[in-house]
Amino acid sequence: MKRSSSAARAKLQRAKRRTSALLPLLPLLPLLASACSRPDAIVVGSKNFTESMLLGEIVAQQLERYQLRVERKLYLGGTFVCHEAIKAGQIDVYVEYTGTAYSAILVLPATTDAAQVWRAVDSTYAARWNLKWAEPLGFNNTFAMLIRRRDAERLGIRTLSQAVRYARTWRPAFGYEFVEREDGYQGLLKAYGLTFAARPAVMDLGLSYKALAEGRADIIAGNSTDGQVAALDLFQLEDDRHYFPPYEAAPVVRRDLFTRFPAARGALAKLGGTITEEKMRQLNYQVDVAHRPAIEVAREFLAGVEK
Amino acid sequence: MSFFEYLALNRAEVLSSTLEHVWLVAVSSGLAIAIGVPAGILLTRRPRLRAPILGFANVVQTIPSLALFGFLIPLPFIGGIGARTAIVALVLYGLLPLIRNTYTGITSVDPAVREAAHGMGMTDAQVLWLVELRLAAPVILAGVRIAVVLGVGIGTIAAAIGGGGLGEFIFRGVAMVNSAVILAGAVPAALLALIADGGLHLLERRLDWRR
Repeated sequence: MKRSSSAARAKLQRAKRRTSALLPLLPLLPLLASACSRPDAIVVGSKNFTESMLLGEIVAQQLERYQLRVERKLYLGGTFVCHEAIKAGQIDVYVEYTGTAYSAILVLPATTDAAQVWRAVDSTYAARWNLKWAEPLGFNNTFAMLIRRRDAERLGIRTLSQAVRYARTWRPAFGYEFVEREDGYQGLLKAYGLTFAARPAVMDLGLSYKALAEGRADIIAGNSTDGQVAALDLFQLEDDRHYFPPYEAAPVVRRDLFTRFPAARGALAKLGGTITEEKMRQLNYQVDVAHRPAIEVAREFLAGVEK
Repeated sequence: MSFFEYLALNRAEVLSSTLEHVWLVAVSSGLAIAIGVPAGILLTRRPRLRAPILGFANVVQTIPSLALFGFLIPLPFIGGIGARTAIVALVLYGLLPLIRNTYTGITSVDPAVREAAHGMGMTDAQVLWLVELRLAAPVILAGVRIAVVLGVGIGTIAAAIGGGGLGEFIFRGVAMVNSAVILAGAVPAALLALIADGGLHLLERRLDWRR
């Protein structure tokens, strides 16, 4: 017992010596890293889900249309990975959502005031990290109260306020996140004075889509840009009292990008307002449900965007 | 908030979810036994059914729970959302150990014993009931034990289809990125599994007729 532990210690010390021999070389590492990346290319990042990756690809191809060289670092992990990467200069641009930046990165309490959220993220990003929010792409990826399209047409309703008088007979099914979050279920009931026929069935979000489509539930809380909304012929009730916080998508850019590549400013500005919620849903649908390559879907989309 | 603080604040809810969980597992295990043991006996009498029935039970095990729920939602009577659908899924997942152990237990009874029973003038039903099932009881009970312990564990997926149980804390905790809430579901579930395993182990020893 004693012998083995002293052997282990000796081994550890040897290992320590081996690494410490390399220590003087440590300052050279950044040099090595910068030698590998090409400073004449714009590095485009994205988070690790379909929509973010698609938007990264759209941004990348748009920059390429302006003869800029692009390096893709898509599927980088979540919000924090992208945020750290752009702060550190590992990426130059990625698409972020205003509400995510506001609540997850700046850790401010949820608010439904889109203008206030925009002002806060725009000024704080500039002051703290020298990052700029480019023109919003035009859609809002937030909770979406969904019903079957044929119900919406039969009842002739478009908005949540109009849905209140029918909701008494509806069976809701919600995902856990919607029920738990303070900007979710409880607040929604209060904001619209809603009552449902039963307590919500709390279940997996993906299964709630299926339950709605199969007539086992009458209203669910999905995401406004999910491809499923189009695939299952669902209808999003408009949040006419602006209860849900804004999650507007816009590219976040390092300030020095526009001095290094002046053409990038115009290229990104052209993307502003080009993607509606309906459009984003279709794009997600192409990748998630129709299983088409994101590169192709992005190219087709940009073909319709004025250069 | 730590796990213990959360538990102290929400003990009523944790307790009612635990009872719900016990109910889910009890009902689904009961149904699985009522289907699985006779099915296992049937296989010993109709060997041609062996491949299709065991194949079915095997394949069911490989279906991910969310996919299984997806298939079940549109079905009338056994489908939809809520505890009923969850129980159907749990029964299906519990069948394999029950069918297999019943079959193995009965087929491993010494043929000489079976012949002696027939020679004494026992009918087929008497051989099954008085000889085979008694001798196979420990193996069958081992299958029940596996099915129940598995049921406690996978019973947490009931929460994915509005079926309640301890899985609710796990799903809520994941949605809120809060490990205290996850543990409030996972720890009682683990304790239930240990209790069920220990209890059935005692029963198994009691029923071992060969001792």
